[in-house]
Amino acid sequence: MERQMINKKKRVFSFEPTKLPPSEVFTRKYISHLVPALKKLNMGKSSPQINQLTVKREVDKALALSAQEFAWSRFLLQKLSSSNNPTTTTSSSSIQTQILERSNDEDGEIEEKLKELQKLLPGGEEMNVEEILTEIGNYIKCLELQTSALKSIVQDAT
Amino acid sequence: MGGESNEGEMGLNHGGDDQNGISRVGMPLYAKVDPFFSSADWDPVVSVGVGGGGFSSSHYPSMAAMDNPGMSCFPHYQTGSGSGYHDMPASLGPFGDCGGGGGGQFLGSDKKEESVGRLIRAGDGHQVSDDVVLGDGSSNRKRRQPVAESQWNKKAVEEFQEEPQSQKKHKNDQSKEKMMNKESSQSEEAPKENYIHMRARRGQATNSHSLAERVRREKISERMRLLQELVPGCNKITGKAVMLDEIINYVQSLQQQVEFLSMKLATVNPELNVDIDRILAKDLLQPRDRNTPTLGLNPFTGFQGTMQNISTTTNPQYNSLPQTTLESELQSLYQMGFVSNPSTMSSFSPNNGPLKPEL
Repeated sequence: MERQMINKKKRVFSFEPTKLPPSEVFTRKYISHLVPALKKLNMGKSSPQINQLTVKREVDKALALSAQEFAWSRFLLQKLSSSNNPTTTTSSSSIQTQILERSNDEDGEIEEKLKELQKLLPGGEEMNVEEILTEIGNYIKCLELQTSALKSIVQDAT
Repeated sequence: MGGESNEGEMGLNHGGDDQNGISRVGMPLYAKVDPFFSSADWDPVVSVGVGGGGFSSSHYPSMAAMDNPGMSCFPHYQTGSGSGYHDMPASLGPFGDCGGGGGGQFLGSDKKEESVGRLIRAGDGHQVSDDVVLGDGSSNRKRRQPVAESQWNKKAVEEFQEEPQSQKKHKNDQSKEKMMNKESSQSEEAPKENYIHMRARRGQATNSHSLAERVRREKISERMRLLQELVPGCNKITGKAVMLDEIINYVQSLQQQVEFLSMKLATVNPELNVDIDRILAKDLLQPRDRNTPTLGLNPFTGFQGTMQNISTTTNPQYNSLPQTTLESELQSLYQMGFVSNPSTMSSFSPNNGPLKPEL
């Protein structure tokens, strides 16, 4: 009965995300996704290399699942579901068509860098510059939270 | 539409008359690409662009600005309010338009409310003359050909708008060209009022293309500023290139860190005996000095007090729950607004329930 009450309350409060800062929300989500997945992995252990890849994949998946409000997380999920190995992004960069070419050398450099950034960001190839800049911002933030969560998990386990 | 096509046919018949003919030429071109345009969201813009038929502003509420010269839509870009532009034109200008000259198909597919962008695209369907395209030296950047064309075409559209009599067309041609080449706001404001619903500020180029450019640039630089605050140690950096470098390095280092940590995690996996609350407590207690910008994520340190409150004291709001067991603590976390998958959290069982999409 208490559980039902709690669930009801949970439903109510889930519409009030302002009670928690989003960074904490993310961390909790992330850990809640990752730890059970790791436990599940624990059951069937195979060779270390495969295990590493699987762990990495779970790590990425937890990241993507914890940040579903962002565009890059959707792309990341797609990538993860399409392949079993977490590979780097495909190199075809379509930012050429999206970033305006500039005649100055400086601007050409900038374009190069934006292309690189595009490669770093999951799903970056399909975004234009403004989207990239926005998404990179929250991608960075989520990466930071992810690293701290992973650190604490590792610390805890050792 | 019937009237329009009639006029179009007449225009074709006229042919040779330079001034009148050209103004007519625009219409059959529109009529030609009409099914093409109508397939997208462009109809209002097409109707606006053609203009003479008088069906301009009725189709598109914000285009009412056309009838009302005093209304400037530039603030709409700034504030995002008003006539229903509820998204900043992210694909405005060359970014969105780069393929535009080649046929406006993909342009129609997004961003219904971007009037300036649509104006630009509306001009894509036809080319009045190629001369001024070459003369387009206004911007210091090299423009792609389609963009230049679209820019010019848009201006051509403007001209159609402004002149019931087409004798002024050539004069406006040249004056428009001058407009592109130098920044003066005042001489061209009168003709512009009839047509463009976006007005430039005084002392700045009234070329709507450059206005869109400016809006875009401002958005981009604002984002760069936010990123600057996000990436550590970038406060003194001025300049996009260096900033982008730093961002790239930082993202790469973060990704490497994650990889390294996950490798480590793989090796220590068997000993994984985690209590979430312990992790969270440890996590939250790590000090973060940075103030993050409003990318939707608050400073990390903000909730330390809250967490300790939960773990140590009985939260008065939810005092029915003991604070000792993991599950109950998780439940209290739920009540704090922690949106998560309850089945996964509370059970910690190997079967991950279907994870619901959140937010």
